[in-house]
Amino acid sequence: MTEAISSSQKTTGAKPRRLSDGMFAFLLTVPGLALLLAVVVYPLITALVTAFFRQSLVTPGREFVGLQNIVDVLQGDFFRLLGQTLVFTLGTTIAPFVIGFGLALALSTKIRGTKVLRGVMLIPWLIPGVVVSFLWMWIFNANYGVMNALLEGVGLIDRPQAWLAHPTTAMIAVIVAKTWQSFPWMMVMLLAGLQTVPHELHEAAEIDGAGTVRRFFSITVPQMRGIIGLVLLLEFIWNFQHFDIIYVLTGGGPAGATQTFATAVYETAFTGFDLGHAGAIGLLWMILLLGLVVVYVRFSERGEKR
Amino acid sequence: MTAVLEQHAPATTTTTPPAPHRRRLRSDRRAVKVSAWIAIVVFGGFALLPVYWLLATSLTPRTQVFSYPPRLFPSEITFDAYAALAANPALFGYLRNSIVVSVITAVLSVIVSAYMGYAFSKFRYRGRRSLMYFVLASQMFPQALLLITLYAVFSAYGLLNTYTALVLSFTTFTLPLCVWMLKGFFDTIPDELIEAARVDGASRLRIIHSIVMPLAAPGLVAAGLFAFVRGWNDFIFALTLAGPDKQTLPPGLVNTFIGEASTAWPELMAASLVVSLPVAIAFIALQRYLVGGLTAGAVKG
Repeated sequence: MTEAISSSQKTTGAKPRRLSDGMFAFLLTVPGLALLLAVVVYPLITALVTAFFRQSLVTPGREFVGLQNIVDVLQGDFFRLLGQTLVFTLGTTIAPFVIGFGLALALSTKIRGTKVLRGVMLIPWLIPGVVVSFLWMWIFNANYGVMNALLEGVGLIDRPQAWLAHPTTAMIAVIVAKTWQSFPWMMVMLLAGLQTVPHELHEAAEIDGAGTVRRFFSITVPQMRGIIGLVLLLEFIWNFQHFDIIYVLTGGGPAGATQTFATAVYETAFTGFDLGHAGAIGLLWMILLLGLVVVYVRFSERGEKR
Repeated sequence: MTAVLEQHAPATTTTTPPAPHRRRLRSDRRAVKVSAWIAIVVFGGFALLPVYWLLATSLTPRTQVFSYPPRLFPSEITFDAYAALAANPALFGYLRNSIVVSVITAVLSVIVSAYMGYAFSKFRYRGRRSLMYFVLASQMFPQALLLITLYAVFSAYGLLNTYTALVLSFTTFTLPLCVWMLKGFFDTIPDELIEAARVDGASRLRIIHSIVMPLAAPGLVAAGLFAFVRGWNDFIFALTLAGPDKQTLPPGLVNTFIGEASTAWPELMAASLVVSLPVAIAFIALQRYLVGGLTAGAVKG
């Protein structure tokens, strides 16, 4: 309304506004949308479509095979991959949560030096994923690794282990490395969440004689429900598609024991050149992931009521 | 001295007021303090000992690294590993690629996201919410899957092994985070300011360029730094879409050091520290914006 008046009054030189505000705003989003359509939506859809074709990365042309690739994958690796992906994802979601929450609680007590410690604890999270892999590859090294020396020193193992060469210990190693990288993020988020718990609740409960543990489970946790849900969900989604640390640390080995959906799709496409089967794994993976993304968007919508 | 005394004073007084549960509370408080310390020592050790090991190995002479049990404290310190990095021209190539690609990615992402974030923040129109959540969700799709066809697309346009391919693919994860971060910044700019400029006859584009963007400058810088860091850290796109002469440091280091018969651990640890440094500096600069960026997905856990 006001806009129409002001533009009609300013006739001298000023161009009349032909675009509505909505149209103008939409135009502002066009460059970004075009980019996202080109580099996310189009590749995603075409990648999923390859699930229905026999197609190679290196030779042109493709042949429609219907559901054959999907059947192959379901009868082949799928459930092993799903199991391994879930072990990795749950491990790398729960362990950083426990460590991060523990540290957040410890660092919000009245101990001196917590401010410095909060900063120092962030260091692992500032380190790029590839470097995290290098570091833990060296720590878990079978011949000269410091992990062997440490565990031997305290008597947990009696001779050096080849951590990355055995299925179970290799999975533990990738989970430890990823946990090391992500717990500071959990800590920061949960520390921020702890600030939102009203202090009066704790004081009142303390006067009523509630102990620390009781107050943690009856006040802190319920008050932080939202942030706890958010960090667990985000961490789960990210780890469900994590690639870097697994790929560099173990390459999915030994004998595919640390292979997840992410590394399996990559290997199938870029080592095996088999785009059809890579697309089929990807399609099944996306169906699982989509459920999580929908939950996440719902979650964000609740936080963003405008 | 006095400072120490003053700090102790309130701690002793809080335990004195008579209360029914005083004794229990006091032992409770001690238990809290003890468990806090245990958590700090155990988890802090987990956090920091590997960092120490990274630094110590990079300063250990190569001959001492290959011994078991490893020496926790190197008997002599050497900068040989760093000197060896400086003498390797291939690493400088990767470094240059990393800087070029990350900077261009950051600038492009901020420019594109600024308009988009502004449209999401200050206008109300049909489809706005759907677009916003489409942008949010677009960063949730796995890179490994996008690569299946991104590779073919870039190949078809002759873009494989170019900076363009890397910059475009990096925007898949920088754009969503920049848009959401900047929308948050624009939300804090009062609508009255924009309305006042409108009444004064400023055009909508003029308002964006002369009023909103200068006010949001700290936000633009923060979003740019986050985008820079994410580009700097990317591994999978740079590994796949570029060859050795256009690759960035993360895949470059893997090519240089991993898979050899005996890895040059001191050099690799030294290179690791050097690669991590810009990220650490960026984060120190970004401290104030961390929590906002965290929820926008800027910094993955």
